[in-house]
Amino acid sequence: MGSREIVVENLVKNYPGNVTAINDLSFRVDEGKIFGFLGPNGAGKSTTIKILTTLALPTSGKASVGGFDIASQASEVRRVAGVALQDIGIDPLMKPVELLVLQGRMFGASKSEAQARARELLDLLQLSGATDRRVGTYSGGMRRRLDLALALVHQPRVLFLDEPTTGLDPISRRDVWREVRRLNRELGITIFLTTQYLEEADELADTVAIIVGGKIAVEGSPARLKAALGEESLNLVFESPEIAQQSQSAVQQFSDRIQLDRDTVRLYLEQAAEAIPAVISQLQQVALSPLSITLTQPTLDDVFLQVTGQRLVAAEADKAKSSGSKR
Amino acid sequence: MDIINNQASVTRSEKSNPLSMFTQIYILVVRSLTTLLRTPEALLPPVAISIFFLVIYQSTLGKASSFIPGIDGSYLGFILPLSIVSGSLSGSGVAAQNLVRDIERGYFDKLLLTPVRRAALLLAPILAGAVILGIQTIIVVAVGLLLGLNPVTGIPGLLVVIGLSILLGIGFAGFTVSAALGSGSAAATQGASFLFFPLTFLAPTFVPLSLLSGWLEVAARINPITYVLQAMRALLNTGWDTQAILTSLLACLILGAVMYALAAFALTVRTRRT
Repeated sequence: MGSREIVVENLVKNYPGNVTAINDLSFRVDEGKIFGFLGPNGAGKSTTIKILTTLALPTSGKASVGGFDIASQASEVRRVAGVALQDIGIDPLMKPVELLVLQGRMFGASKSEAQARARELLDLLQLSGATDRRVGTYSGGMRRRLDLALALVHQPRVLFLDEPTTGLDPISRRDVWREVRRLNRELGITIFLTTQYLEEADELADTVAIIVGGKIAVEGSPARLKAALGEESLNLVFESPEIAQQSQSAVQQFSDRIQLDRDTVRLYLEQAAEAIPAVISQLQQVALSPLSITLTQPTLDDVFLQVTGQRLVAAEADKAKSSGSKR
Repeated sequence: MDIINNQASVTRSEKSNPLSMFTQIYILVVRSLTTLLRTPEALLPPVAISIFFLVIYQSTLGKASSFIPGIDGSYLGFILPLSIVSGSLSGSGVAAQNLVRDIERGYFDKLLLTPVRRAALLLAPILAGAVILGIQTIIVVAVGLLLGLNPVTGIPGLLVVIGLSILLGIGFAGFTVSAALGSGSAAATQGASFLFFPLTFLAPTFVPLSLLSGWLEVAARINPITYVLQAMRALLNTGWDTQAILTSLLACLILGAVMYALAAFALTVRTRRT
């Protein structure tokens, strides 16, 4: 135990046209851990997964998976690594058992071994009820689970999951989380997971790295990252950003750290609950009253805001609006 | 020292994958055929078009052998090879469409993440396409027989005709597959197979080669389809012409060699880790 399953040293990836997808990335993932790679779209998450799973080569730098070099020992890496890419690459005309058996055979299993493994995995991922259907008829959540099964066919030691719950409804998302946790706990698989959902990283990962613009901005356990912020925050929501701005100056005396985020004023305080009455009476004196007051423990979102100066949720909301999905 | 290390790692990776190249190809061919047969609507048009033209030519020009010099034997025996060849050209697209579908859906990448031999990924859809092409040719030949075709070389001759059709189709499949690997797009692949359409007419399509002249004759002489047509016509109408058969085999071989060099290059580019 405790050996390094994934080691990444000074990884750089440039694409033609002077686009730097990842820029001097270094991190390590210990055996049996879940490592969460958190960042907005275009931060370099998928590129990192492609390099670590041998689909792409880095421009410079080194990386190894399961002790094998990703550049010179690609076929060994493919043997120890299971991969579920963001775009689920499955043939909709095929049936789940056919896909699983084919995958198993390509990894060198005999026909009967591959069939036994297929049944085992369909059971494990609770797809045994739908084996006679073509994959094209599967729901998004079922396809994700089947893709996960395909990634597990050759009993990998390390599992790479690229945004495993993007596009799933909340229930399917929880299903996938449960499976990921179970694979990690029961089978001891090391998991490298990218996500743009804070609660996903918070929920699953032992260690979280926040990646922005191809670089790791901060890394640590979710608890440690949140603890580093140290303080609770008191969130005052006002009718408009203008009113929020006026209020900000009115309550300045209560905290060294005050943040204005659109219509919300955030005060970071050691004992936020005790400060509420005083804050309210101060606001009343200048004839301002908030629409709502909430108290939050630091979240990964706050960590994200702290290190990047932008809010991941807001970036996501903009994206969701343009793609028509809701969050 | 470096060389020794490399060799050690090669042996290790081959030992850890006990499946032979042949078995991998076999499994992938079966898989390709399974999915192809689940979309029969994609397989029928080439056959239907071949049969349509065969019937039209035969009904409108059936008496042509009496006034076009150089057609020895029946007009049906002269024109059936054209139907077969145009069938094998459109049928050669099956392999590429099969492949490009996998690329577009991301399944090709999924297979690349396994230790499968890269060549197996190229050969499997082509062989599956060849099986389909063989079936399509048999159907067209059967329709010819129904229309009254009486091949002078009998069943063995028909088998050679079918074999030549498959070989020509495999040769051209090398080109469409290159387009599939190069573009990764179904539309571009479709476009590439249309390029063959004119080739069918830059050949002794409706009259014997001896009646062509000028640039058309030059084009026809460097077109491998010409030699395949001539061999097939001889087999159906005049008898075993060893020279024509060998020439057509050579033409298919040269075509195949060029197209597969191209396909191998396209595969290297597609699977290059950049």
